[in-house]
Amino acid sequence: MAAPTPTSSLARLIASLGLPAAELERLGALHFRDAGHGFDPFGLSPDHVALGESVVLPLYERYFRVRSVGAHHIPRSGPAVIAANHSGNVPVDGMLIWTDVLRQTNPPRVVRPIADHFVPALPFIGTFFARGGMVGGSRGNAQTLLEAGELLLIFPEGTPGILKPFRERYQLRRFREGHAEMAIRHGAPIVPVGVVGGEEQLPALFLSRRLGKPFGVPAVPIPAVPLPLPVRYHLYYGEPIPVHERYRPEEADDPAVVRAVCAEVQAAVHALIQRGLRERPGVFS
Amino acid sequence: MSQADRPSSTAPGATSPLLVHPSWAEHGRRVLVTGASTPLGERLVRTLLNDSRVEHVMAITAEPADQGLVTDPDPDRLSVVQVDLDKERRIRNLLFGPARDRGIDCVVHLAQHRSAHARGSRVHAFNVESLRAILELAERHPTIRRIVVRSDVAVYQVQRDLPVLIAEDHPLNLGGGAPQWVQDRVEADVTACARMGMSALEVVVLRMAEVLAPGTGSQLFDYLESAVCLRPAGYDPMINLLTTEDACTALTKSIFNDAQGVFNVPGADTLPLSAAIRSWGRLGLPVPGGWMDPLYRWRSKLTGHDFRYAMNRRRFHYSGVLDGRRAREVLLYVPAQPIEWPVDPLGEEPAAATGG
Repeated sequence: MAAPTPTSSLARLIASLGLPAAELERLGALHFRDAGHGFDPFGLSPDHVALGESVVLPLYERYFRVRSVGAHHIPRSGPAVIAANHSGNVPVDGMLIWTDVLRQTNPPRVVRPIADHFVPALPFIGTFFARGGMVGGSRGNAQTLLEAGELLLIFPEGTPGILKPFRERYQLRRFREGHAEMAIRHGAPIVPVGVVGGEEQLPALFLSRRLGKPFGVPAVPIPAVPLPLPVRYHLYYGEPIPVHERYRPEEADDPAVVRAVCAEVQAAVHALIQRGLRERPGVFS
Repeated sequence: MSQADRPSSTAPGATSPLLVHPSWAEHGRRVLVTGASTPLGERLVRTLLNDSRVEHVMAITAEPADQGLVTDPDPDRLSVVQVDLDKERRIRNLLFGPARDRGIDCVVHLAQHRSAHARGSRVHAFNVESLRAILELAERHPTIRRIVVRSDVAVYQVQRDLPVLIAEDHPLNLGGGAPQWVQDRVEADVTACARMGMSALEVVVLRMAEVLAPGTGSQLFDYLESAVCLRPAGYDPMINLLTTEDACTALTKSIFNDAQGVFNVPGADTLPLSAAIRSWGRLGLPVPGGWMDPLYRWRSKLTGHDFRYAMNRRRFHYSGVLDGRRAREVLLYVPAQPIEWPVDPLGEEPAAATGG
């Protein structure tokens, strides 16, 4: 058996400093497919999950003061797809949903964010995210995870969703259909999530595609403020859309069925966002 | 036939009359193994000789015939034949000579150039044309019914937008910029695949994970031989490693199975590159990615090491792990022998530059 990696040991140490003992103990019940050396085949490591939570927790609890509504809709086991709106110029929403799912489920579940292709290619960030469960956005990765009964986090708008101009905040971009097709094929319910707060965290003056090129990123936002603002995040989980009960797996090949499911998901996310906007007292509260 | 082209068999009985092959069920396997002087080839030969279902093993070596393959060879069960597989005529003489006389019914093709620096038409002939000839000749051979070809994880493309878990239909590494070492492996693999279903000949291609052992052509083994292993800063991809024991198990199961097709053969060790470095007892030193290629070129020039970073660049950035589901379901192969870290660099007898 291989010795623990230095990064694993360091991850454990930092996590133990940042998380209460009870939370560390709870994370000990985290289920993952150990490929033999403390990592799953995609690189997820429970030590790094704990590290990730300890790093994000101050942001989650104190800076963005996340309010979670309807987390009981997250399936406790089996394959499922969480489909959320994407926003904010930097992917804080993904980190916060990841943390929220981890904290709201018991035994804890790690949601596997499906990231755009450029994310795994980013040095340090790509590796750190992979240790926490992120995988690159290929169909094969998503299928493997669903077959293994994992919980996926997908932003069906993709990068266009996160790079919206401020004046178009909370206006959903066209949902890509891949998540609907995969959910039907693998019998996974889709949990719509409306994220409110992210659009105001980092208003961008403009987007620079030239600056993004060296990093393989579609564009880099030039923000109007130096740091994300301490907006309050509201995460609204909707009732799961039971595509696994309504459709047979082979119907994933029917474009009309896939389009209909995708539209239903988009409508559900839209409704949750509208509810969140109505219910929040203000951007920072 | 000239003396040079004539296969030299050291085992008695090589001139026995042509055997009319009975059905698979009626007799044990008679197996020809190319690349028998490699660590994997030697282990396979020993394993087959210990298997009561095997009647005879014909070990093909590029070097002078080596009776050291086993300590106490039984001439009725083992014959060692020296043949250079870089000429079609020599292969024909082998298959329609000693192999036919021995009633060989299964060929396990392990012979491949192991040096990443080897290039040129002779190397290509050894890596690719020899297999093409074996496949073509086997189709009209009176006794050969099954061919098992060892392929390599290097045939697969690894890049950021492809799945981490590599199934058999994963894109192949067909890039024009790939070195001959890779191109030859891809071409040999595709050549074998193209013969599937074309005749009664059963063709099995085993795409093996990297065998972390000396003399196997493992780039990673060569990389890990340095006291300090450089790796591109910010990246720590997942890799999968195979032991010779598990590789041998997969080959043996392929010999005794009737299925044909392409199968991934993963190993029992799936871990990040940094963990492999540490488990080996080496110091992993992250450096800017742009430094890696020149530094390892200098290492190669100064020390003669075989590892080429340019050839492994993507594997050092993005994860690529073989998915062994098909092999598990069809061949009943499950990796069972994890690597005993650190690997003893002298634990296996070093082999020569070619795997014939």
